[in-house]
Amino acid sequence: MEESEDVPKDFIKLKCEKLSVDEVSELVVSPYCGAVSLFIGTTRNNFEGKKVIHLEYEAYTSMAETEIKKICRDVRQKWPSVKHIAVHHRLGVVPITEASVIIAVSSPHRAESLEAVMYCINTLKASVPIWKKEIYEDEYSWKENKECFWANSEK
Amino acid sequence: QVSVLYFARSAELAGLRCETLSVPREITSLQLWEEIVKAHPRLAVIRDQVVFAVRQEYVLLGDQLLVLQPGDEVAIIPPISGG
Repeated sequence: MEESEDVPKDFIKLKCEKLSVDEVSELVVSPYCGAVSLFIGTTRNNFEGKKVIHLEYEAYTSMAETEIKKICRDVRQKWPSVKHIAVHHRLGVVPITEASVIIAVSSPHRAESLEAVMYCINTLKASVPIWKKEIYEDEYSWKENKECFWANSEK
Repeated sequence: QVSVLYFARSAELAGLRCETLSVPREITSLQLWEEIVKAHPRLAVIRDQVVFAVRQEYVLLGDQLLVLQPGDEVAIIPPISGG
């Protein structure tokens, strides 16, 4: 049986359920690709000496999906051999050690997918309207990525 | 009449996530901010940290002239922290 054309695809999902590394890698696997590179962002249990109980994420969902699509488009311009791209981001409560974001990219050879994954996570942190709240024992804090160009860095 | 969306800290300060606002069709982004702060004075504290997203494009608070259509979405965007 012949494989279908295997047209390059972007798989973008924002969801409240637990993310699955298996699911995300399987989305990008391709018989034409020798490399699948992955980034998993997980929740740390501490920040500046304070114990983090869990994280909560919210998003401007429609714009976040559009911005992630733009990132995928940029990736394909910079690394034309990239085949499939998957970006899954969790929303709502994320317990410690669970994944908040998983990015997977496939390409025929490893250099492109490794570089593309790094570009995706770095650009996501700079441009996608998603917010993280760290919940500590007594208080909480809205985080600000240093990549965010409009954040007031003197805070 | 535009839809104003509030997120993260701006939603906490304004006490809501979404409302319609009547504004002039042509207005600078700074003037739009000032209209919003009139309705929700507690937002003033984050003025230096936010940008807008107008029709899902980022806009800095300043002299940029916006041409708004009825039903346009304007979002208050505090510093982001995805990933």
